[in-house]
Amino acid sequence: MTELFVAEVMKLPTRRDESWRYSDLEAVASVWPVPAAEIIDVPAGTHVSRVIVQDVATDAVAIRDYRVILRAGATATFHVLNVGGTLGRVTIDVTCHEGAHFELGGAILGGDEQTLEIVTVLNHIEPNATSNQVVRSVLAGRATGSYLGKVAVARHAQKTDASQSVKAMLLSRTATANAKPELEIFADDVKCAHGATVGELDANALFYLASRGIAPAEAKAMLLRAFIGSVFEGIEDEAERAAVEAAAQAALERMLAPLPPAGGAGGGPV
Amino acid sequence: MLKITDLHAEIDGKEILKGLSLSVNAGEVHAIMGPNGAGKSTLGYVLGGRPGYEVTGGAVEFDGQDLLEMAPHERAAAGLFLGFQYPVEIPGVSNVQFLREALNAQRRGRDEKPLSGAEFLKLARGQADALSMDQEMLKRPVNVGFSGGEKKRNEMVQMGIINPKLAILDETDSGLDIDALRVVGDGINRIMRAPDKAVILITHYQRLLDYVKPDFVHVLAGGRIIRSGGAALALELESEGYAGVMA
Amino acid sequence: MATKNAEAYEAVSKTYEWGFHSDIEQDFAPKGLSEDTVRFISAKKGEPAWMLDWRLKAFRLWLTMEAPDWAKLQMDPIDYQDAYYYAEPKAKPKLGSLDEVDPEILRVYEKLGIPIEEQKMLAGVEELDAEGNPKRRVAVDAVFDSVSVATTFRKELEAAGVIFRSISEAIKEYPDLVRKWLGKVVPQHDNYFATLNCAVFSDGTFVYIPEGVRCPMELSTYFRINAENTGQFERTLIVADKGAYVSYLEGCTAPMRDENQLHAAVVELVALDDAEIKYSTVQNWYPGDENGKGGIYNFVTKRALCQGKNSKVSWTQVETGSAITWKYPSCVLAGENSVGEFYSVAVTNNRQQADTGTKMIHLGKGSRSTIVSKGISAGRSDNTYRGLVRVAPTAEGVRNFTQCDSLLLGDQCGAHTVPYIEVRNPSAQIEHEATTSKISDDQMFYAMQRGLDQEAAVALIVNGFAKEVLQQLPMEFAVEAQKLLGISLEGSVG
Repeated sequence: MTELFVAEVMKLPTRRDESWRYSDLEAVASVWPVPAAEIIDVPAGTHVSRVIVQDVATDAVAIRDYRVILRAGATATFHVLNVGGTLGRVTIDVTCHEGAHFELGGAILGGDEQTLEIVTVLNHIEPNATSNQVVRSVLAGRATGSYLGKVAVARHAQKTDASQSVKAMLLSRTATANAKPELEIFADDVKCAHGATVGELDANALFYLASRGIAPAEAKAMLLRAFIGSVFEGIEDEAERAAVEAAAQAALERMLAPLPPAGGAGGGPV
Repeated sequence: MLKITDLHAEIDGKEILKGLSLSVNAGEVHAIMGPNGAGKSTLGYVLGGRPGYEVTGGAVEFDGQDLLEMAPHERAAAGLFLGFQYPVEIPGVSNVQFLREALNAQRRGRDEKPLSGAEFLKLARGQADALSMDQEMLKRPVNVGFSGGEKKRNEMVQMGIINPKLAILDETDSGLDIDALRVVGDGINRIMRAPDKAVILITHYQRLLDYVKPDFVHVLAGGRIIRSGGAALALELESEGYAGVMA
Repeated sequence: MATKNAEAYEAVSKTYEWGFHSDIEQDFAPKGLSEDTVRFISAKKGEPAWMLDWRLKAFRLWLTMEAPDWAKLQMDPIDYQDAYYYAEPKAKPKLGSLDEVDPEILRVYEKLGIPIEEQKMLAGVEELDAEGNPKRRVAVDAVFDSVSVATTFRKELEAAGVIFRSISEAIKEYPDLVRKWLGKVVPQHDNYFATLNCAVFSDGTFVYIPEGVRCPMELSTYFRINAENTGQFERTLIVADKGAYVSYLEGCTAPMRDENQLHAAVVELVALDDAEIKYSTVQNWYPGDENGKGGIYNFVTKRALCQGKNSKVSWTQVETGSAITWKYPSCVLAGENSVGEFYSVAVTNNRQQADTGTKMIHLGKGSRSTIVSKGISAGRSDNTYRGLVRVAPTAEGVRNFTQCDSLLLGDQCGAHTVPYIEVRNPSAQIEHEATTSKISDDQMFYAMQRGLDQEAAVALIVNGFAKEVLQQLPMEFAVEAQKLLGISLEGSVG
């Protein structure tokens, strides 16, 4: 069993593996095999919170896997800022026992040739557990940002309440946003819903800000800050929250900086 | 028409009705009043046959039949109408469709000929007019997006269309303004005041009774009827409160 | 030409029993699938050489392909050598009256409200006159008048210049038109089942609506009285030329039985500038018994090419039958301001499995799409919505709205939602929403307190849930489809 498991982990993923369908497989191969997932086993009735800032150097590859087990009545809050590397991938696999709660606030901010991914699997295996996931992506340059989130409700995991809210915004015609919010439900008395939108900045809002004297670039930045702002509100430690928000702010500014001339590092002809 | 004898009922293992007895004859209007949690709504649900409400003792006879043996839709076909305190929303199903199917199911249950679409529409429009309900609301999905008052008025329109023998109206007056209260009161009198019909009004307040004069008033507390009297009892309750009457 | 048309329409309109049947008497290909099978089919149909070559190319391709495994379906592998690929449609035993028809089928007809004479036709009843000669035609003519109605319809179609043929006839009569479009929307190599269909398709329908013509009737109306139009490997091609409009209905609410377990149809639609095609499906093939024994495997590839500017294709489906449903009616929205719509109700009960949805591929500027999917699972069934919304980099100003709702009846079934959203243009506005619910106890009690029994209450609430989709159906089918939902869910509650 264990050997089989290891063998599975060792096998290089392909396009046919659903959770890798949008990934940068060349980058994956360059760091394969990746270390085993970090296991976070949260005892019954306790709480854990994690803030993950994935901001490795621009030419690096980061693949981080977390496996979270929430025992009865346990709760976990995860905040993820995914901004670094040619490939930056954060996978969170959560198992919710009776009455557990999982909360995710995630942001993907990518530019240039980056491929950034947040992949979650929420296994509701017992009744009365709840989960809430909010993910916001902003993509510029030739970046690809993907959220693949599966909520699986086992037979008899009644009264599960699981929601996913996914929103993405593209800043250039060469960027890509992918979303796959998936539900797999085997119990009838559940509340499972997801919403996903992809769109551009509200032209009315931009105009409104302009009419108040705010320059277009600044107005854009302001609206984008608001777009991702709510994601990190739940971070309890104020210093930690400030640090994540600053990192997000820096990433946004990088993305909004005027592109170098065609043929330069980030832009390039289409 | 209705004879309730020593009725005991519980929900989730908790006993709510604890030996309630009540007789209602044709031609009578009974008001059941009482404090919150007394079991008023439970009585309505038990008579309607709502799943989850378990009868643990006693008997209920309706027109000579054992009511408790019947499924909810059979009770409806037998002529029992329950006006809901919180009418339920059914998305995508229009009022007209809902009521026509319901009425014709009841008619088939009584070996009567189903109404055609045209016959039904005529009936429904007449009832909506009589209760000053906008005709458009007949086409809208059942109770979806209706205000509290509109829902109650819709219950009365349904009652007019179904034309039951016995109506049990659970707080039909709540959520109504003064004008609507008058319309609903007139509706109850028009539809249900007849020698072969009867009404049980479940209410907190005297005000509906200004429009629908009860023949009997009962005070329900602790799962039983603790006092019965004429219309004057309601006025006494209004001035003294339940505490005074129950003391 | 006019006479020829009339004859051809006659052939299409007749049931197999006294239509195609007489042409192909006694013929079937031996069991199994090989190049010889393909040649046999082509020869049987008297096809031109180009058609045979096309089939053979597909067959050779198919040999190199693998069956897709990504759908949420559990089934044993299909043994393709253990099946017939060309057998004459089985002649039904001739019945003297409705008394001889399976009472279960009659009960469903009755619940659907199908008129008595039409029931006879669907069940294949052939009444005899005093001399013992079939009087069916006369009887039908006199009472239900289907044949004469059909004749009137044919004349109308002809006058409008609409080409409406079986695909075998179209291959012979309109080779240029067929060659121009066949396999252009669903290419031969598209997927395993589509490729198989290319090699062995038995028959199907070809429709061409000329420029500026609004098809003078809903082709649904036509099929309502000629219900037996489906086959094992069906091939449909509909081309709406500039500014044309057609509404087409496939299938029938009446239960359809078929001895062939594997069905692999291909439907291709082409809409040129300003053209509109409305394609509605009611699928009620045999779903197998309560334990999942028997039942049709339905692997269908349906795709529309909205090639012209302002073109529009609307798919509406009510899927209640088949043991396995695998189909994703899709739109390639290539034309500027083209519109794609997908409205679906899929009901699964007992051991049925449905994996169905759509793909909206936005290539054209200003193209828009709407997806409304209502999945209803009961018994021990599984019901999956699988959909893709893709926006190409060049497609400015794209709009999509998707709503996927699942309703579960009971705690032994499954309801799944697998949407893929892939956007590569910043001006796109994509909205996707999904919900999962059950019928609340409050709703059930309320409906029952008003006099509906349990079954009627479930049917009513389910119809409310599916209303947005049902109201897209041609009027004469909407009522039956509503009843069909109730019938499909019989025994699922309580």
